[in-house]
Amino acid sequence: MTTIQSPRSGNIGSGKIAPKYTRTGGSKGNFEMLAWLFMRLSGIVLVVLIFGHLFVNLLVGEGIHAIDFGFVAGKWADPFWQIWDLAMLWLAMLHGTNGVRTIINDYAEKDSTRFWLKVVLYAATTVIIILGTLVIFTFNPCPVVDGVQLPGGFCPAP
Amino acid sequence: MQVHKYDVVIVGAGGAGMRAAIESGQRARTAVLTKLYPTRSHTGAAQGGMCAALANVEEDNWEWHTFDTIKGGDYLVDQDAAEVMAKEAIDAVLDLEKMGLPFNRTPEGRIDQRRFGGHTRDHGKAPVRRACYAADRTGHMILQTLYQNCVKHNVEFYNEYYVLDLLIVEEDAVREDGTPYKQKRVAGVVSYDLASGELHVFQAKSVVFASGGAGKVFKTTSNAHTLTGDGMGIAFRRGIPLEDMEFFQFHPTGLAGLGILLTEGARGEGAILRNSEGERFMERYAPTIKDLAPRDIVARAMANEVREGRGCGPDKDYVLLDLTHLEPAHIEAKLPDITEFARTYLGVEPFTDPVPVFPTAHYAMGGIPTNITTEVLQDNDTIVPGLYAAGEVACVSVHGSNRLGTNSLLDINVFGKRAGIAAAEYSKTADFVELPEDPEAMTRGLLSGLLEGNGTERVAQIRKELQDTMDANMQVFRTKESLEQVLNDIEKFEERYKNVTVQDKGKRFNLDLLEAVELGFLLDMAKVMTVGALHREESRGGHYREDFPDRDDEKFMKHSMAYLDSSVTVGSSAESVAGIRLETKPVVFTRYEPMERKY
Amino acid sequence: MTTEMAEPASKIELPASVAGDGEIPTFHITLRVRRYDPEVSEEARWDDYKLTMYGTDRVLDALHKVKWEIDGSVSFRRSCAHGVCGSDAMRINGRNRLACKTLLKDLDTTKPITVEPIKGLPVEKDLIVDMEPFFQSFREVMPFLINKGHEPTKERLQSVEDRERFDDTTKCILCAACTSSCPVFWTDGQYFGPAAIVNAHRFIFDSRDDAGDMRLEILNDKEGVWRCRTTFNCSEACPRGIQVTQAIAEVKQAILARKI
Repeated sequence: MTTIQSPRSGNIGSGKIAPKYTRTGGSKGNFEMLAWLFMRLSGIVLVVLIFGHLFVNLLVGEGIHAIDFGFVAGKWADPFWQIWDLAMLWLAMLHGTNGVRTIINDYAEKDSTRFWLKVVLYAATTVIIILGTLVIFTFNPCPVVDGVQLPGGFCPAP
Repeated sequence: MQVHKYDVVIVGAGGAGMRAAIESGQRARTAVLTKLYPTRSHTGAAQGGMCAALANVEEDNWEWHTFDTIKGGDYLVDQDAAEVMAKEAIDAVLDLEKMGLPFNRTPEGRIDQRRFGGHTRDHGKAPVRRACYAADRTGHMILQTLYQNCVKHNVEFYNEYYVLDLLIVEEDAVREDGTPYKQKRVAGVVSYDLASGELHVFQAKSVVFASGGAGKVFKTTSNAHTLTGDGMGIAFRRGIPLEDMEFFQFHPTGLAGLGILLTEGARGEGAILRNSEGERFMERYAPTIKDLAPRDIVARAMANEVREGRGCGPDKDYVLLDLTHLEPAHIEAKLPDITEFARTYLGVEPFTDPVPVFPTAHYAMGGIPTNITTEVLQDNDTIVPGLYAAGEVACVSVHGSNRLGTNSLLDINVFGKRAGIAAAEYSKTADFVELPEDPEAMTRGLLSGLLEGNGTERVAQIRKELQDTMDANMQVFRTKESLEQVLNDIEKFEERYKNVTVQDKGKRFNLDLLEAVELGFLLDMAKVMTVGALHREESRGGHYREDFPDRDDEKFMKHSMAYLDSSVTVGSSAESVAGIRLETKPVVFTRYEPMERKY
Repeated sequence: MTTEMAEPASKIELPASVAGDGEIPTFHITLRVRRYDPEVSEEARWDDYKLTMYGTDRVLDALHKVKWEIDGSVSFRRSCAHGVCGSDAMRINGRNRLACKTLLKDLDTTKPITVEPIKGLPVEKDLIVDMEPFFQSFREVMPFLINKGHEPTKERLQSVEDRERFDDTTKCILCAACTSSCPVFWTDGQYFGPAAIVNAHRFIFDSRDDAGDMRLEILNDKEGVWRCRTTFNCSEACPRGIQVTQAIAEVKQAILARKI
């Protein structure tokens, strides 16, 4: 038989709690409000970005058959799509991270669990965002290594 | 022994208790002891409204209100008290509004008012709109608003502390005319902490009783399970008299079998009562105002129909409240609670089917006698310094023999406020009365007797039988025989109560034990009520003796005062009841002469 | 303006079903009560009671029957017994309800009816929980009228519309059914909870009150309204029919409107 949770008072049956319990660390500032607002706004923007992305990639022209290395390279040659994909990356990552953050807040019962889960989450987020950003801006469709053109159908033969 | 010291201790956190606490808490160190949580108190069940002659919607003045109150109480009202209440009603309502109570509003933004039974303009000429209300949950809003203000003023509450004893010491004193007497003085109270099962003594300069009524002596009652007459019982056991206990109001329209109240407003909106033959029987009992006759008259008519075999249901034990001829939209707008109660509890759809109803025990007019400053009286005119009472537990007496609708909410606010101020002011001038030696002794004895006894009788069984006999014999119709029957039964119950068993032997939240304690109070209260009823050989307001159907001002225009007195034996008592001494107290008249009570 | 209502008939034919003779149906139930008494054992357990109940009996009647006739140690709070005092909120068949407002016949009586204490508050004994954390949250939102202006000699004026604005949230009876139905509250009990927000709402939207900003600031806390996940458990649990989730949403909007 599992016991019924008893917040603030430790284990079941530990007797009366102190009449003046304190809510741990009240927050100043508007972080939670801004996070809440960000979730809604980023959600709307992401709908546009993602469906735009899917439409261009999968439906326009030859649709899915057109996707290859060259297609991606072609898109990222255009600053418009660079910005589009960058926005998508950042918003999706932050939106998702914030979502997981609230889930951790809601479901983790101990402060230490909560702390370490968030450390892992934020680390993963940071790595992915940095890597992704680097990929978008440092992408070179025709890399030349030691004077040799790397294989790929997109670049004209030297 | 755990002793707490406060200037003022308030027993009970309903309307009267919290109204007192708001005043007292700002003036003196105050503790409020309640057997529930404050917001659970039964003030919250009141629906209709709170009367005050604000004259927001039509001409009105407090003097008319005074008259209505006195006439409604069949002239057994202390007229000075009724004047105080009607006059201070206006401030009481405005105080509540300023505390934040969300009254319904007129189009001009003032507090709206509506009609209510027995409230009239110019001494009975026509109904007047006097009741200030917040939808159909005025009592709920009063209770919440008072609690909110207690939070605001940081009132100290001891929740789930059952007060089980009043600590009183007696001193020798001499009256002005030279006769010696025993002056009672209050030292504090003893309470039982439900959570831990420990006793706590609260030493206080002033004690305010605001612990509510005793409706659970009856089976069919609108009262909460927790209204067991504790406050009255504690005071009575310590030698404080109880005034006018024979007067108990039966509200005509309680849901049959359950007692849950359907407001008088229902009949105000056009609902009518019918018997099993479909007849609108009130036409026979009150040909002019029919279903809108005063509560006591309607209740008697209903009981009479059932008694003569025209009741409805499998046991033919109720009549019907018919709303089916009214517009559903109208009912839904004006009486949402009624429709919800009928649907939830009886599964009756009030738009299409009549609702089973029967009179339900509603309000104790009597209680601990006080003067208009809420000081408790130990006899007809000697106060007990530092002891106060307000609300249903008290008898000022503003309700006389029949309380007017809405006057209970007024009572708790007007006299609750007075009690809070008086108690705090007294505590500034007074010293603590020394606690008697071993103050917990009586309470400990009471509890251990119940806990350690190895009896065979069940509390619930005795209580049920008590409630059954009270419903059968002490309800709207009373005769010498029926009352003697009750007293006989109570004698047997008291014997069985000595042999009662409490199954729960633990210390934590032992509600089983407290139900046993409460049964003791119920037995005491039932007995006092019945003895009073037996003594009063007349019919007045809520008290109707079939063997004496008329009001008898000659002999009974006076309050009854019941004292616990072990020197009274069966032989020495006119009512042949040992242990209770009945005396009388004159009614205070100011300007209204008793007249026949006609509407 | 009043149209005089037609006087109802002096006598009508009543259908046999209302005039009487109908039998009161009885049925058998199994009441499965979660028992816990630290004086006896640290472990909670389930006790089953087989009972015969009548037509319109409620869960509270069944509990009373157990306490009064079978086992006096079964402990629960109750007072008014008709849904206005808020003492007997409990989990009945997994949902938060008032025992005095839940009719047995509306439940599936072929299976045991489970009765547990409300979740998220420390259990003291059987169905009794410690309400102090709940009331502490209530107190923290300053649930009382704060008015900075002059006290008028008569009442403060308020239009019918302004009064209507917060009507829904004045119905709260502080039974804790909403707060203890909230999954966010279950986790660590730090969240203010729906009931506290409802009572803040009652004053934030009261035109007579001047401290709305302070309450909004309190509820802008990390344990405040932003923890609401709009699962609607609270609205469903409320025995008074308050639109709790909507009230919380209105408070969120008010905070946003104030900041932006």
